[in-house]
Amino acid sequence: MGTNDQTRSLPRGLRLVAAAGAAALTLTAGLATPLDPAPRQARAADDGKKVLTVAVAQSVDSLSPFLAVRLLSTSIHRLMYEYLTNYDPKDNHAIPGLATKWESSPDKLTWTYTIRSNSKWSDGEQATAEDAAWTFNKMMTDSGAATANGSYVGNFRKVTAPSPTRLVIELKKPQATMTALDVPIVPKHVWEKVSDFSEFNNDKSFPVVGNGPFVLTGYKPDSYVRLKANESFWRGAPKFDELVFRYYKDQDAAVSALRKGEVSFVAGSPSLTPAQAESLEGAENVKVNDAPGRRFYALATNPGAKAKNGEKFGDGHPSLLDRRVRHALFMAVDREAIIDKVFRGHAVEGEGYIPPRFSQYFWKPSTSQKLAYDPAKAAELLDRAGYRKNGDGKRVGKDGKPITYRVLCHATDPNDKAVGKYLQEWWGDLGIGVRLECLDNVTDPWLAGKYDLAFDGWSVNPDPDFVLSIHTCGALPATPKDTGATDNFICDKQYDELYARQLAEYDPAKRADIVKRMESRLYDLGYMNVMAYPNAVEAYRTDQIKSITTMPAKAGNIYGQDGYWSWWSAVPADAGGSSDNASSTGVVVGIVAGVVILGGLGVFAAMRRRATAEDRE
Amino acid sequence: MTTSTGTGTGPRALARQRRRASVARFWRQYRAERAGLYGLAVLALCALLALFAPLFVGSDVSSVTDAPGRPMQSPSAEFPLGTDQFGRDLLGLVIWGSRVSLLVGLLAAVLSVAIGTLIGVTAGHFKGWYATVMMRVTDWFLVMPTLVLAIALATVMSRSLTTTVIAIGVTTWPTTARLVRAQTLAVETRPYIERAKALGGGHWHIMSRHVLPNVMPLVLAQTTLIISSAILAEATLAFLGLGDPTVVSWGGLLQDAREAGAVSAGDWWYLVPPGIAIAVVALAFTLCGRAVEAVLNPRLGVSR
Repeated sequence: MGTNDQTRSLPRGLRLVAAAGAAALTLTAGLATPLDPAPRQARAADDGKKVLTVAVAQSVDSLSPFLAVRLLSTSIHRLMYEYLTNYDPKDNHAIPGLATKWESSPDKLTWTYTIRSNSKWSDGEQATAEDAAWTFNKMMTDSGAATANGSYVGNFRKVTAPSPTRLVIELKKPQATMTALDVPIVPKHVWEKVSDFSEFNNDKSFPVVGNGPFVLTGYKPDSYVRLKANESFWRGAPKFDELVFRYYKDQDAAVSALRKGEVSFVAGSPSLTPAQAESLEGAENVKVNDAPGRRFYALATNPGAKAKNGEKFGDGHPSLLDRRVRHALFMAVDREAIIDKVFRGHAVEGEGYIPPRFSQYFWKPSTSQKLAYDPAKAAELLDRAGYRKNGDGKRVGKDGKPITYRVLCHATDPNDKAVGKYLQEWWGDLGIGVRLECLDNVTDPWLAGKYDLAFDGWSVNPDPDFVLSIHTCGALPATPKDTGATDNFICDKQYDELYARQLAEYDPAKRADIVKRMESRLYDLGYMNVMAYPNAVEAYRTDQIKSITTMPAKAGNIYGQDGYWSWWSAVPADAGGSSDNASSTGVVVGIVAGVVILGGLGVFAAMRRRATAEDRE
Repeated sequence: MTTSTGTGTGPRALARQRRRASVARFWRQYRAERAGLYGLAVLALCALLALFAPLFVGSDVSSVTDAPGRPMQSPSAEFPLGTDQFGRDLLGLVIWGSRVSLLVGLLAAVLSVAIGTLIGVTAGHFKGWYATVMMRVTDWFLVMPTLVLAIALATVMSRSLTTTVIAIGVTTWPTTARLVRAQTLAVETRPYIERAKALGGGHWHIMSRHVLPNVMPLVLAQTTLIISSAILAEATLAFLGLGDPTVVSWGGLLQDAREAGAVSAGDWWYLVPPGIAIAVVALAFTLCGRAVEAVLNPRLGVSR
């Protein structure tokens, strides 16, 4: 699925609505851009306030932490609310957040967190264990409040706050993710007045009470999100006075705005294109941050969609149930060419399921296990599987018909389309037809199992539990009509056993070992073929941001971190002046094209006049 | 123009002769329209390029796996218009893209005019409640913004050339229907129609043998004009990402360029050639259409 834009589940529907919306908006934005490449509103440095402006494209789904699942909204929640734990920006290990320390009982079923006493809500009230307990209890009892993060509390038996600094969570079964509970803790005294959690979007009265490094002070859908620095933040106040996420639905417009100094930072969605990065690298006062990403980009295969009740549905091609066919298909995919030509070096070749950035969980196949690029061997494998070529050079299925696979692609993702073109040719050489089905809304065929292969991708969190959970049998939909958390209907006993074991394993090294075995199993199954780990390619103005923390510290990304490090740590540059040598070549091109067209029209009009003059005689 | 043929000796030969004469007359008058001639010359050139493209560029110009260059190279002796994001030769792609753009433009225009003519002629002929209903439907389509409707259609259907053709054809017919209906009404008041009716000519006979030949010139002119807007519409849809991503077309090239970030990167060679190609072909069709209209305009035609 397409995913770059989400950190976590509940996925497709919302994501796709977002994609569709974005596409629709791109229309208007796209049309407006060449004429208006320089959006108004200069950066407000006049009153001495230091403002950090970030260009974003993704719409906010909700500002309620109980509903938000998109990357932008969850990142904003990181800034607004403190979580129990945070991740170290250097190496992703769990560090204190609202909790200062934590321990589990010997039976692994009771976790006790010590809540810090120096964190205050922005309305002056003390943040206590009671707030945390209330937040978790609400999610356990109110299905509306469990919309976004319900999966974290599914295994909770009881949550209590015996004292303002002590939070006790009792579990039904051991759970290794207890130091990675990505749940924003909200102030009880504000939120207990909310009546319907499935409707409340937390975007009516500002400022919104919080205890994170920033306080939300304003929001207009698809226009801006404004936050101001929380001076009393326990870890220290941010250096910038204000943080504004401003919308640029068109990426070229965002890049132009960066060139002109109207925004300080552009992340792109999901990242800047190679051409944009290259042109920005030469620009003055702009730094391009090209860092290993936290995403994987894969080719998912339909394993014959089925529901938990055993009912089969969808119409995946039967030949794909043969593991040799899946392996052959992947062996005909030249991953090096994809990195070189499509990503132009801004990605790393895919190996295991989890990107190398999460080094403790990164796994790669041994040389004998690896499905290396080898079209000849792929053809041989298909022959052996019984899918031979007919007279026209097309391979035929067991039903005697030539094989043509439908490949679901996201119409909004240029990489899908580009890689799709390569697949058509590579698999065409194997004798297999490819029909690219590029849709704005891939959800419907996806959930219905009506596809053969699909472009897929997820952002991976420091704790890999979630991205591993979406391939378990437990994630399958209950009936064909339901929506499950499953990614693409994978259900494998061996994988499930390993999944249960890693979740119950509290020793990090042993757990990582099991996770690697899961990745190995997934690789061998051939249902999830990771082609690449795309880099995060983003850019910022060095005359506005002096320094900013990347995560991980050495070669890391800035936008969409697991934590508030980047915006909290950003140091403003002294020179506030905006440089005005903005050479947007886009404008030049636009003008040239305009002149050509006007010239054409002029010639046309002249001829017309002459023609009518002749007619008049 | 054609009227009822009932003169006994060799009516066919007579009709053929008359047609030949009218074609010759048409050409003589068309030649007087200078702009129309320029348009025709450009079109002929484009048509030749498109038809013979397989000979000198070949279908492997759109192949991404054996692209000859590096991505986004600026124009050079080897690649006169530079290369695209896959390293393919843009000159070849623009020539190759003309095939799809022209084909879709033609098919969509033919579909649009066919629907328009069918509704126009029947509405003009049958009058009564049928005409009222059909004209209200036409009005409805007329006031709907064409592009928005086409985008909606292209979004709900799967991405393919057929979809594009249908999306354009189904949304651009109302003007043709209105024009044809007006002409049909005018033709049907002529005395010979009444005579044909008196002699027992049915609805089908009247519409196909008498009305249609009389509205044909109008339809022809309308087709030529609609082709240019259909080509523009095709390019627009493809640019908005609603075309078939696997075929090379001019609008599709512009969309690729935009998605690759060529606009902000300043890679003009990726944007300008397809843009100019679209403008030139659309202009050429408009020039021809205006010339044909000037020659065949029924209001002027009376004096002939």
